[in-house]
Amino acid sequence: MLSVLVALGAVATYVLFLGVAVVRNHPEGYVIAFALATGLAVLAVVRARTRRWPAWAALGVTSLLLVAGAWFNFVVARVPDAPTALRVGEQPPDFTLPDAAGRPVTLADYRGQKPVVLVFYRGYW
Amino acid sequence: MSELQGLGAQLSEAEQAGVEIIAISPDPNERSQQLAEGLRLGYRFVADRDLAVSRRFGLIHARGGPDGQDVPRPATVVLDRAGVVRWFSVSHNFQVRPAPGDVLRVVRSLVAEKG
Repeated sequence: MLSVLVALGAVATYVLFLGVAVVRNHPEGYVIAFALATGLAVLAVVRARTRRWPAWAALGVTSLLLVAGAWFNFVVARVPDAPTALRVGEQPPDFTLPDAAGRPVTLADYRGQKPVVLVFYRGYW
Repeated sequence: MSELQGLGAQLSEAEQAGVEIIAISPDPNERSQQLAEGLRLGYRFVADRDLAVSRRFGLIHARGGPDGQDVPRPATVVLDRAGVVRWFSVSHNFQVRPAPGDVLRVVRSLVAEKG
């Protein structure tokens, strides 16, 4: 049963500490934890003499999490590399976009005024 | 969004006044505005509804959305007072964002620079 605890602990840790950069920026951590949990479950199956089904159930749960987690981290979450228009030492393309109140925000207006941080993001992630 | 919270929380008021943080997403503005008010952040949220600007910046993850639509590649770009790119980071895994410390260091040094 330790294996299921490790796996569920990994899920809880990741979700709780999503706001903590170290945890968020190392998503492979939960994949490693799932692998560890699967390993423990295999051990439990091997060592169980009677009543083997709880160990098999644990192995089922943990291996499912391992496959799902690995697939999500290495396939779903991967962003393919592509050339950007950004070069250090050069000006990026200018733009004008409406802000939340509908007022236009023009990047070039900040030139000579103050530094700017642009954060491109998708929804809430 | 957590990268925005981190950045805003760690800059002093004076530092926040010395830098403009513009958050760009295809999200409808109303939702972004609610989010901004909820977090009490001094950021400008701008809507790139048709992704035209993200495309011009080369920051498109083609068919990367949950419904197979194009979405922006998560990216952070720091410009100096002259409007020149001094640092940027483009994510290769949408779970991962630049370390807040890296962005803070660049922003602080630029805010401290004489204009």
